[in-house]
Amino acid sequence: MMYDDDALDRALAVLPLEDPPANLHARIMAATVYRPRATVQQWEVWTLATLAALAMWLTWVALSTPRLGERLVDGVTRLVDAGGLTSLNTLMWLAVGISAAWCLSQITVPQRRRVEIR
Amino acid sequence: MGAALAVDLPPVAAPVVDDQALIDATLTGLSDAFGELVTRYERAVYNLALRTLHDRTEAEDAAQEAFFKAYRALNTFRPGAKFSTWIFTICYRGCCDRLAKRKRLSGDELPDHADPSAGPEAQAERSDDAYRLRSAIDALPEKYRTVVTLYHLQGKQYEEIATVLNLPLGTVKTHLFRAKEQLRKALTL
Repeated sequence: MMYDDDALDRALAVLPLEDPPANLHARIMAATVYRPRATVQQWEVWTLATLAALAMWLTWVALSTPRLGERLVDGVTRLVDAGGLTSLNTLMWLAVGISAAWCLSQITVPQRRRVEIR
Repeated sequence: MGAALAVDLPPVAAPVVDDQALIDATLTGLSDAFGELVTRYERAVYNLALRTLHDRTEAEDAAQEAFFKAYRALNTFRPGAKFSTWIFTICYRGCCDRLAKRKRLSGDELPDHADPSAGPEAQAERSDDAYRLRSAIDALPEKYRTVVTLYHLQGKQYEEIATVLNLPLGTVKTHLFRAKEQLRKALTL
């Protein structure tokens, strides 16, 4: 059979598409709308990992610093003796810090911006 | 009186919901709406993946992956755009990644032949013109094969094909012209 341009176009137009496997629809639905939601969000994983790393680093510092306990107690004692913790300035900055931390805790973490494919 | 009204009325066709409405409904949490989108396009997406990858199992995976990516990015879908073009673009890019991975793993040229695991239906239609045309398409180089496949799936919408393949319009037309030349030669042999 000879195929000119129109005949080829017609043949392409009527060329039947192959049937997808019977379970494809169910697979797609299971992977999308029926997919169970992740119990932990990605940013939560990152936060936990960062905190764990910080804790490990602090532990390492504590273990590698000789007489850390004594030094800490000395420092706090000196600070209290100097009246640092009871001064108005210190209390004011503490109040500012706590307020800022509270305000930050009230902010909802924004969702990651999605990249437009088209 | 009541009996006189009981005439046979032609069945009222269900209103056709456009893709944008289905996308909006999906975004509001209606899972059936996305199911309808899948029903509309799974066949075309699977065929695009199959023609590009030449492997039924991989084509199935690629089609599933395309719908998964589309579902996750559905809120970025630009109103007014065509969902078919969008999902074909996602699918085609996924197929390109798979081909690149396959090439990396094999370390040499990709096999450019039809899937040998064609089922009994394909065996039965061996003598058909459709089978000959399909085989001729499968024998085309990858760049021509994809253009012809999208031409088949999307009709004569060159701009849409160019968008999916991320190619200039002129290149799409040239590829299509050369692909048709090769098809004609293969079919008239």
